[in-house]
Amino acid sequence: MSDREIITSKRTGDSCIHVKHKSGLDVYIREMAGFSSVYALFGTKYGSVNTTFKLAADEEYTEVPNGIAHFLEHKLFENEDCGVFELFAKTGAQCNAYTSFDKTCYLFSCTKDYTENLRILLDFVQKPYFTKENVDKEQGIIGQEIRMTNDNPEWRVLFNMLRGMYHSHPVQIDIAGTEDSIAQIDADLLYKCYDTFYNLNNMTLSIAGNIKADEVLAICDEMLRPCEDKGLETVFPDEPDDIVQAEIREKQSVGASIFQFGYKCLPCKEDFLRKEMTASLAVSYLTDASSEMYNRLLSDGIINASFGGEVFAGDGFFTVIFSGESEYPETVKEALITEIKRITDEGINEKIFNRIKKATYGDLVRQLCNVTAAASVMINTHMAGCKPFDVVDIVSELTAEDALSFIRNELLPEKTVLSVIEKI
Amino acid sequence: MNYKRTELGSNIGFTSVVDDKFNTCSIRITMITPMSIDTASEYAVANNIISDVNSKLNTIAAMNERLSELYGAGLASSVSNRGDMQILSVSASWLCNRFAIDGEDITGEMLEIITDCIFSPFADENGFNEDIFRLSKKEILDVIDSTFNNKREYTLIKAREIAYKDEPAQFSGYGTRETVEAVTAQSAYKAYKNLLKTAQIEICFVSPEEEERVQEVFREKFSAVERNSRSHVFYSPSPVKAEPVLVQEEYDVRQAKIALNFKYDTDDVDAVHLMCIILGGTPVSKLFMNVREKLSLCYYCTCRMSEFKCSITVDCGVERANIEKATAEISNQLEEIRKGNISDEELQSALLALENSYTSFGDTHDSYFSWYFGCFCRNEYISPQEHFERLLAVTKERIAAAAANVKPDSTYHMLNKEAE
Repeated sequence: MSDREIITSKRTGDSCIHVKHKSGLDVYIREMAGFSSVYALFGTKYGSVNTTFKLAADEEYTEVPNGIAHFLEHKLFENEDCGVFELFAKTGAQCNAYTSFDKTCYLFSCTKDYTENLRILLDFVQKPYFTKENVDKEQGIIGQEIRMTNDNPEWRVLFNMLRGMYHSHPVQIDIAGTEDSIAQIDADLLYKCYDTFYNLNNMTLSIAGNIKADEVLAICDEMLRPCEDKGLETVFPDEPDDIVQAEIREKQSVGASIFQFGYKCLPCKEDFLRKEMTASLAVSYLTDASSEMYNRLLSDGIINASFGGEVFAGDGFFTVIFSGESEYPETVKEALITEIKRITDEGINEKIFNRIKKATYGDLVRQLCNVTAAASVMINTHMAGCKPFDVVDIVSELTAEDALSFIRNELLPEKTVLSVIEKI
Repeated sequence: MNYKRTELGSNIGFTSVVDDKFNTCSIRITMITPMSIDTASEYAVANNIISDVNSKLNTIAAMNERLSELYGAGLASSVSNRGDMQILSVSASWLCNRFAIDGEDITGEMLEIITDCIFSPFADENGFNEDIFRLSKKEILDVIDSTFNNKREYTLIKAREIAYKDEPAQFSGYGTRETVEAVTAQSAYKAYKNLLKTAQIEICFVSPEEEERVQEVFREKFSAVERNSRSHVFYSPSPVKAEPVLVQEEYDVRQAKIALNFKYDTDDVDAVHLMCIILGGTPVSKLFMNVREKLSLCYYCTCRMSEFKCSITVDCGVERANIEKATAEISNQLEEIRKGNISDEELQSALLALENSYTSFGDTHDSYFSWYFGCFCRNEYISPQEHFERLLAVTKERIAAAAANVKPDSTYHMLNKEAE
C-alpha cells in the first residue's frame, strides 16, 4: 500500500489525494460529490520537443525523427487483438489522447463503469503493439492530419513565430512532424521511445469526478507493473538568448489576417509555476480590456475582440505571445513596445494589478468545480513540479513589483518576433 | 438538483436550476425570432452591442473593469440558427457570493448589469451610441470574414447554403457581409426594440442556491415592456432536391474537404439519431472504421444531424485525388445501414455512447442550458433519462427503415489548386 497525501487548498477548502504508487507512478485523485462523470488522464512527460534522450545505462544519446511522440500516441490505440476504441465502445466511455510539446496524455470520460474504463486505460497504455503493417497504415492518416493543420492559419502563425524565435530548440518543429519526418518512423524506433518515456516513474495518473479513492488505488495495485527508474535524461541543443528573425510573413487563403507577436524570455529552470503565473498576470495587465492602449487600438480598428495574450512555456522554452486578427500588426507591435516601455519607466498601477489578480483568482476557483478542468489542473501542475492548489496560493502572493520585474527584465524589444498570416 | 419552469409573461419562459455542487451562477437570456435576411443582421449587431455596454457602464473599458472587479465575471452574446429560427443569446457567469473575498454581493451586482444591458442599453432616440455601434458592427464583419480561416467550418457553412438554398436557414444568424454593412445605429436600435417586444424569450438560470430575486427582477422588468409575441415552431423540414447538386470551389489550400448533405423523410427521429451515431458519431462508427482506419483516407470523417431541418451532413478532409473513393465509401456505408447490416456491437456501442452523454447531464451549466433549450424547441419537457429510454427501444429494423428514407441532396467540395 502506498502512502496517501491529502492536499487541501487553504483558500477554497478543496482537496485531493496524491499517492506515489509503489510502481513509480504519481497518482492524483479528486473525489467530487454530486457530479455524475469521471475524467481520467494517464500521461507521460514526453512531447514533441523530446527528440534527443538517453537512459543512465546508455552511452550515447539517441536522436529520433520529428513527430514521433505524436505518432506513438496514435499507435498505442492499437492492441494486438483489437483497437482501443472498440474496448471503450463496450463501456460507452469517450476516449481520446493528445500530444503537446512536453507531454502525451491518454484520457477517457464516462458516467458509468469507471473502474472498468480505468482498467482499460492503464492496460492499453502499458501494452504497445507496433508492426510494420500498422505503422505503414498510420502514415496516411497522420499525413492527412498534418495537411489539415497546415491549412490552419492559427497553427501556421504560431510555428512561423517559433521558427523566428528559436535557433535550435525543437519547440519550433510541428508536433506531428512533417510528411517526410514521419516516413522515417518504424516499429523499432517506436519501441525505443516507448521503453524510454513510458516508464511509470515518468508518468502521472490524474482522475476526478464521481470516484472513490480506494477503488482507484486498488485498480492501480492490480494493473500497474512496477518499473525501475532507469535514469531518463533528455537534452536540448544549446539555444542562444537572441532570436533568429524579427519578422515572418506568409500569405494564405484566409478571410482575416492574423498575427502573433512574441517575446523570447529566458527558459525557467526552477519555480516554473511562479514564473508562469507572474508572466500570466503581466500579460493580463498588458491586454486588459479596460486599458487605454486596448481601447485606443480597438477604437482605431487596429484590433478586435480576438486580441489577447498568453504564456507559452515548457522544458527549455518560455515565451509571451500577443495575438489576434489585424490588418495592422506592426501598429499593434509598436503599441505594445511603447506600452511596455512606459510601464518599465512609470511602474504598474497597483489598483489595476489587484483587480486583475482578483479576476485570475475567480477563474482558478471556477476550474475547481469542473470535472475535466480539475483532472487537467492536477496533471499539469504535477508535471510543472508543483501541487494542484499551489497556483491559487502563488497568485495571491504575487505583487505588482513581481509583474513589473518580469516586464522590465524579460519583455525586451530586441527579443521580439512578429509573425503574420496575410490574406492572399 | 431542483428544476423549476415558470412563465414570466407572454411567451417568456424562466427555467431555474438549483444545484448545490457548483460554485458559480450563470444565466442565459435567449431571444427567438423567425430567421429573415431582412432583419438578421440588425438583430445580430444589436445583440452584440447589448452585451458590450449598457447605459451605466457605457464604454467597453468601464464594462470590462467592472466585470474584472467581480472576480472575472463573464458576459457574452451569441447568434445562431435552429430550424428556420434565429437564436440570439446573452449569457453571463460569475462566482457565487460565498467565494467573494471582500464579501461583495456578486449575484446582485451581476443581475443589475445584465438587466441594464437588456432593458437599458446605451442608446437615445437616435439609436445606439454611434461609437459602440461602429465597433460592434466591425466585430460582426470580422466574425463573418474570419469564418474562412477555419476551412472545415467554412466547408460546412457552404454545405448549409447549398442544402437550404432559398430557405431562411440558408443564411448564417449574422446574415451576410452586405446585410451587416447596411445596418445603421438607428436601424439596429429600432430592430432591438422590436425584438424585445416580439421575440419569444427563454431565460435559464443555474445557481448553487435558491435566488428568487433573479426571477422576480426579470418579471418586473418585462412587465414594463409592451409585448406582442407569438410562439414559434422550430420544425421546418428542408425538401430534398429533385436532382443532387454538386458545388466545387478551388482555393489555395493543402487539403481538400468534402461535405455531403442528405435529407430524410421520416417521423422516426430517434431512429435517425441512432443511425447518425452508427454511421459517423463515434470512433467505432462505420465511417471512422472504414474511411479512416481501413482505407487511411482521412483524419476525420463524421456525421451530424440537423433535427429541425431533417437533414444530415457527412464531412471529411481528404486528398483531392481520393474524393471519389471517400465519397463512394461514405455512400457504401450508408447503404450498409439501409440493408440492415448493423451489428449488435455497433448498435450497443451507439447506445452506450448516447447513455454516457445523457447521464453526464448536469455536470456543467452548459449541459443544463442546452438540454432545457432543446426541450423548449421541441416543446417536449422530458428528462435525459426519459429520452434515452426512448432510444433504447429503437431496433435495427427501425434504423434501416429510417436510412431507407435518407436521400442525397447536395455536395460541396473545397478543392486544393495544386493537386491537378
